[in-house]
Amino acid sequence: MTNKEVYKIWAPSDCDWVDWVRPVPFIDINNHLIYHEAIDYTIPKINYIKEKMNDTALIIDIQGVNSVKEGIALAKLGYRPIPIFNGTNPPINTKSTTNNSIIQLLLVWGALELKNIKIENDASPVFLLDSNRLNRYKSSRGIFDNSWDIYPQDIPSKEYLVKKGIKKIIIRGEKLNSDLSKVLYKYQKDIKILFTDGFDDPKEIKIPKLKETN
Amino acid sequence: MKLVSIPHDQFARYRVDAIFDCYKWDPQFLDDGTLAQHVLVITEEEYEELVRLTEALDFETREAEMFLNHHLDLAKVLALPKKISHELKKMSNYDPNRHVRLMRYDFHPTIEGKWAVSEVNSDVPGGFAEASLLPKLAIQYLAPNQYVSIDFGERLSGAIAKKIKPHGTIMFVHCTSYSDDRQVMQYIGDKMESLGFKSLYGAVDHLKFENKEAISVLDGYEGKIDCIFRFTPLEWLKDIKPKTWGGYFNTITPSCNHPIAIFAQTKRFPLIWENLEKNGIKLDAWKRLLPDTIEVKKAKNKEDYIYKPACGRVGEKIAIKEACSNDEYKEILKDVKKHPNNYLAQKKFISRPLKGINNEEFHVCLGSYTVDGKHAGFYARISEKNRIDSDAKDIPVVIERSKKND
Repeated sequence: MTNKEVYKIWAPSDCDWVDWVRPVPFIDINNHLIYHEAIDYTIPKINYIKEKMNDTALIIDIQGVNSVKEGIALAKLGYRPIPIFNGTNPPINTKSTTNNSIIQLLLVWGALELKNIKIENDASPVFLLDSNRLNRYKSSRGIFDNSWDIYPQDIPSKEYLVKKGIKKIIIRGEKLNSDLSKVLYKYQKDIKILFTDGFDDPKEIKIPKLKETN
Repeated sequence: MKLVSIPHDQFARYRVDAIFDCYKWDPQFLDDGTLAQHVLVITEEEYEELVRLTEALDFETREAEMFLNHHLDLAKVLALPKKISHELKKMSNYDPNRHVRLMRYDFHPTIEGKWAVSEVNSDVPGGFAEASLLPKLAIQYLAPNQYVSIDFGERLSGAIAKKIKPHGTIMFVHCTSYSDDRQVMQYIGDKMESLGFKSLYGAVDHLKFENKEAISVLDGYEGKIDCIFRFTPLEWLKDIKPKTWGGYFNTITPSCNHPIAIFAQTKRFPLIWENLEKNGIKLDAWKRLLPDTIEVKKAKNKEDYIYKPACGRVGEKIAIKEACSNDEYKEILKDVKKHPNNYLAQKKFISRPLKGINNEEFHVCLGSYTVDGKHAGFYARISEKNRIDSDAKDIPVVIERSKKND
C-alpha cells in the first residue's frame, strides 16, 4: 500500500472526525518501512469499556505501538480511531530522542485491520497519542530532538465536541501528561473528564490549572 | 483578482493530494481545514504590478539594512531585544554577495482599488511548498490551459545553488519538535537534494562555529557545512542554549537568512525611516504602500489606528477591534499599555474582500517573495475576518493567461 492508500483507510472521506487524522507519520510510509522490529500485533482486550457510548470520546495516551493496537480494539467496539501522532523522523543514522518511525509499521498493520471493521460514519472518536512523545532526554548535543507535544489546535474544540453530543472524555494512560492537561483544562467546564489506567473503570478527575510555558 | 473554486466534489481528493504531493502536513487547525476551497487568480497586469512593487520595496529594504548595519546607533529606535542588540556589532563583516536574502512582503487589496502592504517577513518567511507545488496542483483541478503559476521553490533553490559549491552540504536549522517547521524545511531540502546537494535537518544547537565557519555537531553528520538555511526566528534563537548562537551573526558560511534580517523584521522598522531618509536612503515605495506607522504613545485618542507587536508572527496579537474577541482585544490593549515599546500603532486600512462562489466575503493577504532582490513567487492566505492570522486558510495563487497571448 502507498502512503496515500494507508491514510485514506484511516481517514475515509465523509466520516466524522477524520479531518483530525494527522498526516505526519503517513508521509514517510513508502520510504521508511525497511525496519523490521519484533512487534506483537495481538489486539488487546479492552476492559475499561464494555460497549460503544455515543456521548463519549476517548484519548489513548500510552506507548505508540500499544496506542494503535488499542485503537483497533476500540474500532471493533464501534469507535473511530483517529491517530494524531505528530513526530518527525531524524536524518538516517542520527540518534534521536523519540522513535516515531515504529508507529508507521503499526499504521500499515492497522489499515489492513480497519479494512475488515465496519465503523459507522458518525461513530465517536478515539484519539491516539504516543506517550513516548515527551521523551526529551539528550545524552549529547548531537542528538536529534523529535519529541513533540499535543496542542489545542490538534484536536476538536470543546464547543465542537459538545455540538457533536460528546459529554465525556475518557483518557486512557499511565498518567495524565502535562501537555494533554493544558489542552483539556478548559474542556472540563462542559465535558466530564475521566481517567483510566486501562485496568480500573474510568473515574472522573479534575484537571488543575498548569502554568503556561513558552 | 478573483477567487475560483476547486470543484466541490473533488475537494477531498485535492486535500489528500496537497498533503502527500505538496508537503501540506498540517491540513487541520482546531475545527477548520487550513486549505481554502478556492484558488486566488490574478491577472497578468496585476502580476506585473506586484513584481514591480515588490522589487522596489526589496531594493529599499536591503539598502536600509546595509546602512543600519554600519550605523547601529540609529537602530536603537527599533527597541530590539537586548540579547540581539548586543550581537549586532558582529555583523560588520556582512557581505550580501555571500549570503541569500529571502523576504516576503504582505500585500492587501484595499477598497480604494490600491494595494496596502502590512509588513515584510524579513527573517524566516515560510509557506514554500504552498507557493510552489500547491498552485500547480490547483491548476490541474481547474482549466490547465487557462492558468500559469510561479515556482517559488525553483527560484529559491536556484539562488542557493549559485552561492555554494556543487554537492555542498546544507543544514536546515529549525525547531525539530515542530512538524509544521519540518514540512517547510523538508520541501526545500528535497529540492536541494534533487540538485545534487546534501540536506541535513537539525536544530539551532546542532551548529557550532570555528573561525567563523559553521560546523555540524549533528549525530552522524559531524563536520563543516557549506550553507545554513535557518527557519528558527532570531528572537527564539537567542533563548536557546548553548550560547554559541552568536556565531550566526558573523559567520562567513553562506546563510539564508543571515541575522541582518532583524532590522526589517521588527515591525518597528518604519519608526526609523525619517532618520534613514535624512541619510539619503530612499523609502518611497515603502511610504506609498505601508499605512502610517507611529509610536504607540502618539496614537492616543486616534480611533483609526491598530496596534501590532514589534516581534509578532502569523498575525497574532494584532489589536483590530472587529477581528478580535472582546477578551482578546482587552488583553492586547493591556499589554500595549504595559509594554509600549514592544508595539507600534498603524493606521488601519480597509481591506477589499473578494467574493466566494456563494457570495461569501474573504479578505486576502498576498505574500510576495523576493530572493536576492528578484521577485520569486506568491504565498497567499484568506480569511472571513479582516485580520489574517492562524485562522486563515492557505490559498494557491495562479496567473490567468491573457487572451492576447493565446
